[in-house]
Amino acid sequence: MKKFTLVLLLAFSLPAFAEPVMTDGYAEKTPEATLKAIQKAFHKKFPEVKGDEFVNGSLNFNSASVESNKYWTARMNDSFDQPEGYDKSEAAGKKLWETPFANGKKFADCFANGGKGAANDYPRVDTTTGKVLTFENALNKCLTDNGEKALDYSDMKTMGALSVHARHLSDGMRINIQVKTDKELAAFNRGKEIFYGRTGSADQACAHCHIQHAGDTARTEELSPAIGQAAHFPVYRLDKATDGLKLVTLHERYKGCQKSTGVEKPIKEGSEASNDLEYFHTYISNGMPLSTGVMRK
Amino acid sequence: MKRIIFIAILGALLLQGCKTTPGSADAAPAAEAKKAAAPLEMNPEKLMTSSAAGHGNCLACHAVPRRPELVAGNMGPPFIGMKGRFPDIAKLKAAIADQKVFSPDTMMPPFGRNKLLTPEQIDVLAQYIYQY
Repeated sequence: MKKFTLVLLLAFSLPAFAEPVMTDGYAEKTPEATLKAIQKAFHKKFPEVKGDEFVNGSLNFNSASVESNKYWTARMNDSFDQPEGYDKSEAAGKKLWETPFANGKKFADCFANGGKGAANDYPRVDTTTGKVLTFENALNKCLTDNGEKALDYSDMKTMGALSVHARHLSDGMRINIQVKTDKELAAFNRGKEIFYGRTGSADQACAHCHIQHAGDTARTEELSPAIGQAAHFPVYRLDKATDGLKLVTLHERYKGCQKSTGVEKPIKEGSEASNDLEYFHTYISNGMPLSTGVMRK
Repeated sequence: MKRIIFIAILGALLLQGCKTTPGSADAAPAAEAKKAAAPLEMNPEKLMTSSAAGHGNCLACHAVPRRPELVAGNMGPPFIGMKGRFPDIAKLKAAIADQKVFSPDTMMPPFGRNKLLTPEQIDVLAQYIYQY
């Protein structure tokens, strides 16, 4: 009978995760060592990119992209020439943040310092459930705690716009994600397995493009390094339909990446999988300044 | 006793099957279904350059130095000296079908293993790339 239990135990302890790609950082056991290995690989591959410059993502590798980015950023800051989509999104976010709830309270009442410096230490891990809580979860909790209806994580016009406005209040603050307790470590490892896990018909992992091939060119575009990505979302991306810009949250981008690599059922915005991935992904941007709502192709 | 162990292993394997994340095994039938709808592309130039569904999209990662007009990425090695690099064309076909066999951490999509291209498409594509 002992043998029987052993076989059962062995069978159930087999990993349920996708097969990982053994690129830089995967083999390291601790979060600190994982980040160090990724930093070391990036330093070796592109020594010219230093410190906070990682927040600029693929702009570090393409001067034409820098020019295009300057053009769009100038238009975003010019009140007479704001790109289609950008103006509406910014106004919607501001309105959502400032309009009082039915009970008279506002979003600012849910966070210390009226929301300034609230976003840069999210995601966190719930001490009882062990689940990852994102800043967007906190925004929705603020709504439901005050008797309001939660927003849809996949709706860029409401949750996306609110997120970009609320995160703007923490711009310049440095990302500070803690991974200390067992629950935090478990969440970190769940996210890490997704990041390094092969998936989709192309059999590719996040780590393929954004660690192994970071800085390389995919047809016309340079691939941004994994470090610094989480610091600048949501982003405004080119919208071919309107010739303007459209807001894309980090979870929306995860879905987009998965679609392009042939994943039939991409992870959903606000899902536990997306939250876990965001936790790992944000940890590796620790120390980077938050720079929300920037323009990225 | 042996039978119990056998059943336990079988059951566990079945459960493992259910747990797989959206991945290669699940995606293959859909790719097949899509291809069934449209006629199979057999023009190797199109298979190499186009990113349409059911095409190779080689240029996303591989440049063709003799054809600088083709906009291409650099994630994979360029198509140059192919005959020297692959004296046996069967190895080139095998690499297109599943490069992971030769390089475990590759990001090259397994065009054959995941049925992104048919063996016939891989055949004409390999012959075509072989000229560079």
